[in-house]
Amino acid sequence: MATRSEVVLFALSNSVVGPRLSSSVSGSRHPSQCTTVRTRWENALPLFDEAWGVSLTHLFEPSGVAVVGASRTEGKIGYVAMANATNFEGPVSPVNPSESGELFGSEFVPSVTEIDEPVDLALCCVPGPAMPDVLEECGAAGIGAAVIYASGFAEAGGDGAKLQEAIVEVADEHGISLLGPNTSGFLVPATDLRCSFASGVEEVPPGNTAVVAQSGGVAHVLAFQSRRQRRGVSAMVGLGNRANVGFAEAIEYFDGDDRTDSIVLHIEGTDDGRRLLEACRESDTPVIAYKVGQSDVGAFAESHTGALTGDHEVYTAGFAQYGVPTVDATDDLLDAAAALGNAPTPSGPNVGVVTAQAGPGIIVTDRIQRAGGRLPELTVETKQRVDEILPGITYDDNPVDTGRPMPEFGEVVTAVAEDDRVDIVLVYELFEAALGFPVDTLGGLADRVDKPVLFATEGIEEELESERDALAAAGVPIFETPERAADAAGVLARYARLHADEAGGAGGRPPSGGSRGADGEVGRRE
Amino acid sequence: MSDPEPIATAREDGRATLTEAEGKRLLASAGVETTDFRVCVDADAAVEAAAAIGYPVVVKVASPEVTHKSDWAGGIGVAVGLDSPEAVRDAAAEILAAAEERGIAADVLVEEAMDVDRGTEVIVGGVRDPSFGPVVLTGLGGVFTEIFEDTTHRIAPIDHAEARSAIDELRAAELLYGYRGSDPADVDALAAAVVAVGDLVVGHPIAELDVNPLLTTADGVIALDALVVLEDV
Repeated sequence: MATRSEVVLFALSNSVVGPRLSSSVSGSRHPSQCTTVRTRWENALPLFDEAWGVSLTHLFEPSGVAVVGASRTEGKIGYVAMANATNFEGPVSPVNPSESGELFGSEFVPSVTEIDEPVDLALCCVPGPAMPDVLEECGAAGIGAAVIYASGFAEAGGDGAKLQEAIVEVADEHGISLLGPNTSGFLVPATDLRCSFASGVEEVPPGNTAVVAQSGGVAHVLAFQSRRQRRGVSAMVGLGNRANVGFAEAIEYFDGDDRTDSIVLHIEGTDDGRRLLEACRESDTPVIAYKVGQSDVGAFAESHTGALTGDHEVYTAGFAQYGVPTVDATDDLLDAAAALGNAPTPSGPNVGVVTAQAGPGIIVTDRIQRAGGRLPELTVETKQRVDEILPGITYDDNPVDTGRPMPEFGEVVTAVAEDDRVDIVLVYELFEAALGFPVDTLGGLADRVDKPVLFATEGIEEELESERDALAAAGVPIFETPERAADAAGVLARYARLHADEAGGAGGRPPSGGSRGADGEVGRRE
Repeated sequence: MSDPEPIATAREDGRATLTEAEGKRLLASAGVETTDFRVCVDADAAVEAAAAIGYPVVVKVASPEVTHKSDWAGGIGVAVGLDSPEAVRDAAAEILAAAEERGIAADVLVEEAMDVDRGTEVIVGGVRDPSFGPVVLTGLGGVFTEIFEDTTHRIAPIDHAEARSAIDELRAAELLYGYRGSDPADVDALAAAVVAVGDLVVGHPIAELDVNPLLTTADGVIALDALVVLEDV
């Protein structure tokens, strides 16, 4: 939820996280030093680095949870956080020295140091000024992670900035990862770890996309969207002020998370862009980014999570340089994640399109080329195959237009998917109740041909629901409109170009020679 | 790595801005070719320098206190197309007199004249971004950068292939590949200059470095001007 706490802010948050490159670069310096900006506190705290990975494990995979400031009063954050947290499979302890008895079946304790069961994570529902003492107690109790919902830290400037410095100091001393302050929390639906006080978070289903948002509000926007799209999330994280857990730490963690197959980033700005990019490059899990701020939103954004928005062009260029496709909308972010996280990595930008209706196919054709994809001519063999399957077919080149849904539709898709000139397959078909979707053909096709196969459809939702679920269960990424499917194919194409070096060549950069290929023409629109 | 001489000199003088001569020496030390030039203390020396360089020449004001040379002193700060000792002497004397009148220390820079129609003017810039650190910018000169904002960025340091992609992404890159019968430019040499500018900002305390213009021709690239601003100490 975009709480009021998120809206009154300011610009210092990251000064405590990592040194600003601009000021730390003096005299000679090798570029590789830029990749280890964490050095400063690693040196100060040699043990903390070893504990680093473990620390985010404490945050996202705790054995037990303490809700500090838990309250019996409905409507208070301490009540809602407790209510949401109790869904978790491990023990959840309410902590409040002024309360006694039980809350949601668990006994109140006066301090985190008095919890008998194992506990790694503290959800802190107390005012900011109480945090240094709370964190000292967490340290004494061996708690490795804390979520700080309160605002009034760096984003508020002055005393708030000092307070943030103070909590980071305590956290560093005890090796505690801090999510926030000034965040609405996180979710790991698969384990019912729902550390947010927003209403409805218990309904967000598990999926395989990790949402990492600078804003807690945007994190929730994405989580709720993912539910409506029937995709879900492996985790949803609102970073807030990023006191000591920022983008890079989150990316590193989710890259190693078995439930996560794609990572999406929402970014307003960070003082430590280079470390973010390095983390993206290091990640084997595909990362997609949405950097807000093409127009001037600087003052409002700075007042939000306290970060400079920076030059949008530099962000976009930097992400491309480090292998991260960028998009310009929250739904695009989740569509891109669905495509990249649920399909083999494409080896090039060539999209083969099969459509049962010409009009949507033309929209797709138009859109894909603007989105960074390319529509190759199909091989003679493929055209012959298509002609044999459907004599007198409406259009047998790319896109192949069958004119209407038909029993042979799946065979046509297979023929196009097996074409060597095609790196990515996009299928569009209006739902036809008498025929259903070619689930048997499409299921497993992507793995067999080792290419992404995307599917978009339209129809009466209730009628196509079971077929759609069957396709989804077979691992086919599904899109709601021709445009969104085309844009997702475009992201796959761009991803293939950006990673052409690793993949061994197809697609890739414009040839280095005098003439410029079509790749250069399209690729630059990223 | 200690700072190269032009940077060390500016630091010793307490200057954040390098002179054009220092800037060009810095570029040359990084392998970017520049026009042949001499810094001269008086008009006689300027005439000698012109003879050594070969006519025609350009004469410019050379002072740490003048960064926008062509706007300085009513436009006398840069005199182009000088093809005789008299023209060089007059231009140099005029610059030195204007400097004296304004109470600033100035020399004159005598430089080989380049026919800019031989190639395409490109801008290569290096900046230190608050979030990303060293960034190198590439753009085509004049209206392409100023009006169309046709520039690309890369986080430095970059390799040759990345520099090529930064060039090829320019909307007006066609101009470099032979436009209406003109010879294709040496894009590899341009890419090497883009790499070098990025490396300079990465390796030294440079806040801003503008090579504008970098004349890109069929036989290579040559820096016609260079502005270098150092980071605060």
